[in-house]
Amino acid sequence: MNSVNDRSRDIGPFLPGPDDDMIICRCEEITKGEIRQAVHDGMWTLTEIRRYLRTGMGLCQGQTCGRLVKGIVARELGISPAELEPATSRVPMRPIEMEVFANEVPEEKEVGSYED
Amino acid sequence: MKTNAEVVIVGGGIIGCATAYYLAGMGAEVIVLEGSDHIGNGGSSRNGGGVRQSGRDVRELPLVMYGIRNLWPNLSEELEVDCEYHQDGNLRLGKTEKHREILTKLADSARGVGLDVRMIDGDEVREINPYLSREVICASWCPTDGHANPLTTTLGFYKTARKRGVTFVTGEPVRQLRVIKGKIRQVITPNNIYEGENVLVAAGLDSREILTSVGIDIPMTNSLLECLVTEAQPHMFDQMLGTAEADFYGHQTKHGSFVFGGSSGLERYNKDNGTPVTSSKTAPCICRGIMKYFPDLAKVKIVRTWAGWMDASSDGVPALGAVEEIPGLYVACAFNGHGFGIAPAVGEQLAKLILTGRTDVDLSPLHYDRYKAKI
Amino acid sequence: MKRYDLIIVGAGPSGLSAGIEAAKKGLRTVVFDENEKPGGQLFKQIHKFFGSKEHRAKVRGYVIGQQLLEEADEAGVEVVLNATVIGLYQDKEVVVKRGGQIEHYKGNAVIIATGAAENMVTFPGWTLPGVIGAGAAQTMMNLHGVLPGKRVLMLGSGNVGLVVSFQLEQCGCEVVALVDAAPRVGGYGVHAAKVARTGVPFYLSHTIVEAEGTDCVTGVTIAEVDNAFHFIPGTEKHFDVDTICLAVGLSPMSQLLKMAGCKMVDDPKKGGQVPVCDPHGRTSLPGVYVAGDVAGIEEASSAMIEGRMAGIAAAEFLGYIGKDEMESELASLDKALDGLRQGMFAPQNRGKQITETEEGIEVSQNLLLHGYVADDELERYPGVTHKAGVHPVIECTQNIPCNPCQDACKKGCISIGSKITSLPIVVEGSECINCGMCVAGCSGQAIFLVDEDCGDGTATVTLPYEFLPPPEVGTRGKGLGRDGKAVCDAEVVSVKSMKAFDKTNLLTIRVPKEYAMKARFFKAV
Repeated sequence: MNSVNDRSRDIGPFLPGPDDDMIICRCEEITKGEIRQAVHDGMWTLTEIRRYLRTGMGLCQGQTCGRLVKGIVARELGISPAELEPATSRVPMRPIEMEVFANEVPEEKEVGSYED
Repeated sequence: MKTNAEVVIVGGGIIGCATAYYLAGMGAEVIVLEGSDHIGNGGSSRNGGGVRQSGRDVRELPLVMYGIRNLWPNLSEELEVDCEYHQDGNLRLGKTEKHREILTKLADSARGVGLDVRMIDGDEVREINPYLSREVICASWCPTDGHANPLTTTLGFYKTARKRGVTFVTGEPVRQLRVIKGKIRQVITPNNIYEGENVLVAAGLDSREILTSVGIDIPMTNSLLECLVTEAQPHMFDQMLGTAEADFYGHQTKHGSFVFGGSSGLERYNKDNGTPVTSSKTAPCICRGIMKYFPDLAKVKIVRTWAGWMDASSDGVPALGAVEEIPGLYVACAFNGHGFGIAPAVGEQLAKLILTGRTDVDLSPLHYDRYKAKI
Repeated sequence: MKRYDLIIVGAGPSGLSAGIEAAKKGLRTVVFDENEKPGGQLFKQIHKFFGSKEHRAKVRGYVIGQQLLEEADEAGVEVVLNATVIGLYQDKEVVVKRGGQIEHYKGNAVIIATGAAENMVTFPGWTLPGVIGAGAAQTMMNLHGVLPGKRVLMLGSGNVGLVVSFQLEQCGCEVVALVDAAPRVGGYGVHAAKVARTGVPFYLSHTIVEAEGTDCVTGVTIAEVDNAFHFIPGTEKHFDVDTICLAVGLSPMSQLLKMAGCKMVDDPKKGGQVPVCDPHGRTSLPGVYVAGDVAGIEEASSAMIEGRMAGIAAAEFLGYIGKDEMESELASLDKALDGLRQGMFAPQNRGKQITETEEGIEVSQNLLLHGYVADDELERYPGVTHKAGVHPVIECTQNIPCNPCQDACKKGCISIGSKITSLPIVVEGSECINCGMCVAGCSGQAIFLVDEDCGDGTATVTLPYEFLPPPEVGTRGKGLGRDGKAVCDAEVVSVKSMKAFDKTNLLTIRVPKEYAMKARFFKAV
């Protein structure tokens, strides 16, 4: 079992901080205070934080804030950031227009491929 | 850490969390064991967010209708999160005469148990949702259906249950149940042995293997379903949408993004690598499906796709209630992709069943022992 | 489905190197890159690289990029640009977005060489326009010809922060401060010294308190931090700036590997979440390899070797070469990579405080605290000697794997010896002919040719000068000390520019002879 499995562990009360209104996730405009509060609401994994608050769910998919959120959550839980598993990555690697995603090249017309 | 409680719940999805929440509200001591590291990691956080009655089997309809009448309206306040519940109706869309037939039949049977659902034509569909393409010729319309945010709702149940004193342990996969002196008693994981006077198994597809340890079998198979979400868009519509053949469904969220689920026809056969992974064929297929209904969304960007296992039973409805042959044992599984909207009602009714032996809604059509041979 | 022997994702130094190696061995190889130009970060690197000859040392990064592209072309690697790999699925299926469509490919083997992305730090105002990554600044300057700003504060004293600060100055920006919360400069001392001597002040144990401005950055306040990284009240310093550059590390872009189900590990020494892999890039998924920063943050030179290793491993996996051939080739690359991973900045020394060089000489504390070797520290290094007439003064004081200087001097004045990390020494009894090859050939711009006493009360100092346009002969100005402060009057007596110098101009200035060992840069007034 790891340090975030027992959800009854006492992590102390939520104490407001001076920089709680600083934005951490720019895509979804989530603040440091919201992230810290979510930990005290019981969201102890980065996956739960992201599902609860939408951090890292925007256009950049957490490229910018993933590391920052991790640091904040770890500090709040009193553990090392390395103990927190980063959230999963999903297709697509980059946002892609629906009409492009829908437009699969038929096999015989594939371009840029090897010709014997 | 507490290992002994009045009720031990196996499964930290929305069913387990909701039941724990209502049980704790009635004063029970509860432990919830979640096999993965995350609460709500199965279908609870991978579904499309429908809170609907139309299209549902008449055996489960009374329970869904009970939840929509009694529990969903105040859920955000109760759970102290924004469940983003919208009750703005469900359009189940048809493009062919065959679709019209399917939809008409579903609507007729639902009206039989008192649901307000009716067939409308293409023009009326577009009065309700002007963004739909001309290909849509009919729909069933159920004004009391809607949608909500499965992520915040699931985690909201968890948060408030935890606040009510429920013990949650994640990373605690249950391998075995044990009957002692004729009654269910122990719940065994690789790390611990938990004891409860009552045990509820609500572990999705894994329920089958867990129940096998006490000689109970719920015939289920899995299906790998996929969803996708777009970038945020200006507000367009509030209805929940589906299709006659259930090959595409979705809604616009409060955030502005569209969540759509869909079928490639291959989901029962797609392979996985031990985790629910997406297939390269499905998302493009969903996109093509969406654009036929919503040409306006062609330029909207997809930011994420995901997959989830559905626990499917042979007759398409859940196994729910007491396992009378093993006193103290209860099941709630095989939700067939309908588990989210029904979850508050399931949780509340199961809590009542476990603590008082009575329910407001008759659960007998969903009895775990109902599976019979065809001849 | 269309199938290649090898699909490589990312046409940076590691991806191209992997492709060259694999294609040479007969693998049908394609490289997909989402950018319109190949080369990854190489084409932004206008400085000369460190290392040894076989690591293409003293060649500028963008030239290495051109060389790799030519080699890839010769080897028959298909490089497909503007091709974004959006997913790596089961069965090594790669889905690529090109133009308005997506294409499905399968690889018998796949090498992920997607590199890294810049980290951010937060402070009030960090989301204001004008706060940018150092890599972004480099892209603007060196790829798009756009000035990132006029007055810049750089946060981060690692090699990226140092190199980009110098480039900002080359572009005509004013770098008002180089700031790092760490107590010591993180990057190579020679990189720091070339920035410091242009007059950029270093603030170690400092970090940003706040970025100011309502619609964009108009200023910044920094303050000193204690050992626990808490601000020390009363130490605040304010700068008017329009740009704040963040060079606070890189994170591997390992998403494709994660989505494919590779076993991952969080390794702070490698910069974040990386795939579990063996020394030659084999991941937990058979036939899926990694190379370069995506497997752990390092330099471009090591990325190129890692790429070749993965290419060779893939060739063996697919039966194009035998095990013996693979093992012998990998063994020599192991040795080359090991050579690069030596010295004070080697991965195994990360986070360690090193107080002595390999030669047992005390490390310059002033270099670590302020970015330059103090006058009274300099004499203890073996590259700093004195004699009559013109002679090299080598201000190279840290053990880094780099040795072009000993080959640059045809007269054998400079020696490093067999250990590539050793400090260069001036060979006793050797004769300097003032050719300037050592000055131009030192990637760290740390070698000067000094005539300490010209007989008329003056001295001459020849220094590397990479600012345009160079001053004309006869220009009068100030000689700047290693700290960038004016120490004496100076006059340009010679400006040498040769093809062999590879765009490094050699400026010779005349200064009063007592400043022969002090004046290290020139500023016209």
